[in-house]
Amino acid sequence: MTPAVPLTTIARRTAIGSLAAAGLGFVLFGPRGGKERNDGRLVLDYWEKWTGLEGRAMQKVVEEFNNSQSRIFVRYFSTNAIDQKTQIAIAGGNPPDIVGLWNYNVPAYAESGAIIPLSEIECKPEHKIRLERYANAMQPVMQFKGKTWAVINTGSCIALYYNKAHFRAAGLDPEKPPRTIREMDEANHRLTIVEPDGTVRRAGFLHMEPGWWSFIWGHHFGGYLYDEKTDTSVYGSPENVAAFEWLGSYANRFGKGDELPNADPTLNKNLRASSLTEIEKFRSSFGNYDSSLNAFLSGKISMVVQGPWLANVINAHKKDVEYGVTPFPVLDHLYDADNPIGLIDTDILVIPRGVKHPEACMEFIAFTQQQRTVEFLSTVHCKNSPLIDMTPQFIANHPNKGVAVHAKIADSSRGFRCPVTRTWLQFKDLSDANMQQVWTQKAPPAQLLATMQKRMQTILDEAQSARIRRTA
Amino acid sequence: MATHPASAPRSRAERTHRLRTDLAGWLWVSPWLIGCTVFLIAPIAMSLYYSFTEYPLLEKAVWIGTDNYKNLIHDADFWLTLKNTGMYVLWSIPLCTVLSVGLAALLNRAKYRSFFQAAIFLPTLVPLAASAIIFMWLFNGEYGLINRALSLIGIEGPPWLLSRHWAMPAVVLIGIWGIGQSVVLYVAALQDVPEQLYEAADLDGMGPLRKFWNVTLPMISPVVLFNIITMSIGAFQVFVIPYILFDRVKGGPDKVAYFYTHYLYDNAFIFNKMGYASAMAWVQLLIVLAFTGMLFALSKKYVFYRGG
Repeated sequence: MTPAVPLTTIARRTAIGSLAAAGLGFVLFGPRGGKERNDGRLVLDYWEKWTGLEGRAMQKVVEEFNNSQSRIFVRYFSTNAIDQKTQIAIAGGNPPDIVGLWNYNVPAYAESGAIIPLSEIECKPEHKIRLERYANAMQPVMQFKGKTWAVINTGSCIALYYNKAHFRAAGLDPEKPPRTIREMDEANHRLTIVEPDGTVRRAGFLHMEPGWWSFIWGHHFGGYLYDEKTDTSVYGSPENVAAFEWLGSYANRFGKGDELPNADPTLNKNLRASSLTEIEKFRSSFGNYDSSLNAFLSGKISMVVQGPWLANVINAHKKDVEYGVTPFPVLDHLYDADNPIGLIDTDILVIPRGVKHPEACMEFIAFTQQQRTVEFLSTVHCKNSPLIDMTPQFIANHPNKGVAVHAKIADSSRGFRCPVTRTWLQFKDLSDANMQQVWTQKAPPAQLLATMQKRMQTILDEAQSARIRRTA
Repeated sequence: MATHPASAPRSRAERTHRLRTDLAGWLWVSPWLIGCTVFLIAPIAMSLYYSFTEYPLLEKAVWIGTDNYKNLIHDADFWLTLKNTGMYVLWSIPLCTVLSVGLAALLNRAKYRSFFQAAIFLPTLVPLAASAIIFMWLFNGEYGLINRALSLIGIEGPPWLLSRHWAMPAVVLIGIWGIGQSVVLYVAALQDVPEQLYEAADLDGMGPLRKFWNVTLPMISPVVLFNIITMSIGAFQVFVIPYILFDRVKGGPDKVAYFYTHYLYDNAFIFNKMGYASAMAWVQLLIVLAFTGMLFALSKKYVFYRGG
């Protein structure tokens, strides 16, 4: 017979001992609630989305701030999927002190009370946000329903980049980029190269490359997507329909020929031999954005809608690309050289609800908004400055030689941002799908846009019902 | 009447001893119990509760009854993603099952079986995100190796990931990458088929195909059922590969590869509709349960268990 092993005694002692050790370990090495350094400096946690070069630049700004005074110490955390993690952190009651988000986040966060209006924080006068320092089109980005909720960490405007060498070879003047949609169509016609067997060698312009901003086209035709005052979707407006018909015409020409009234018949006679499949095959050859296989860098497309940071990609991978920058073309009657139309796309800093020292956060935020800091960050990130005033050195030393074009859009009264609604990301999802469907010619644009408008309105109505429910 | 020792009243010492033993047992399992309750049972219960609420994460959940479930009926993207996921399950499960059984049958009597088995299993160890990036390039319309290989036999490959007709087949084909685990299980099952059954089949004059159909398949049918169920559950949750594959155009061209779990994720973390996403998760669970139930019902007719 096997002798009985005194299991209970060993088990109990071991169990209690193990649990006690785990508890002690948790107490000694577990998470800390307080955030204070040995030197008594107040610690602020700052979450930011950037990594690599951009992250290092921001880290440098943080270090400069930490060295500039001895009361506050900011800890920089590079965080991916930052908007999702921030939401969870705020919902869990343990948010960071400062967060770097995107301008489209403001309505949802502000309406939910998840962030603090910066204009209402008690702080030193020199740390207050002065809207008048910012460029015209940048100011609304920081605001929502009459309050200032965010500052712009780096700002950028979207413009048209074109390959000057391609222009020259196609008999176009590289110093006279297209200003209107009509001129752009003509340039596109000259720049597109199709082989006799229908193989596409080069596209003048493709709306689908990179396809990040499916919602901008209507603005260049005099339209917009959303009426903020009435909380209504106007996606199916005649201007938007015209814009998407124009977009669809770029896909439609392959396999059917160019329908431009004044098109040179000797050019692009091979378009009929091509097809949408050919152009999709051509598109599938585009490499990663941040590489030399980028469609614009590799010369597969001659014009692309992009932000100022494209110059960083060019400088890193293919310095010899001779690029020019111009505001994205508009309809003839909308053209105004002094007041260009363009999308404003910015990175912002906000302070989440529930932070213990908002005034200290404001001190850090004010530091990031100094002209010197803004220009340093904008230079490294290759973006235009969100401020009105720019030093001559900023423009002269900027890695993007066309940064002045972006600065002009930033200060234009016709710079626009994405619709200011908490449902924006749902909107964008539908808009992206719509662009795809117009491109693949699933149905006429007017029909597609009408359907999308209805769906967007349903989303807006649902959000409104939720608002009423919460108020009740 | 003799009293059975077990039913005799226990002494105080015995009871204390028993109590201590029980306590020790509970103490030992308590970390798991706490973990399971906090990280599994509680979230499941909370997700059920949230499915009846309007919960935008940044604000408190508000009870709305069955509205989320009702809204699903009118949601075009819900039906689209359900249809796409159903198509994916219907294509990938038969394809992967036939291929993995076929490969296992080939490997069963092959020389260097262990080597080939390891080679087939190896891809399952590659992280899905890395696999997706590899396949992005393999399926590249212009430079992709798949189209290069097709061109060698005179076929002009399509622009796979940018074509609304070929995006879904591409995702299904990528699913084959992960059949290694099934192959290993099938090989083990094939090794377990009694040799005398094949000898009897030989005596009956059966050819290799009939032997496979009448002997091998019935004998490995429980493993086939197990694999189909686990693969189906995985297929209903397909997410990572298409999420990365179509990072530039969500869901691929015309959303033909926009799957249910991706839409659920979007609702939860992009559109801030956690309540709606929770309702979707419960509907997904019910669909998977119904599908599994159907498989079990079919198994009564088609699955053969040794020993009855």
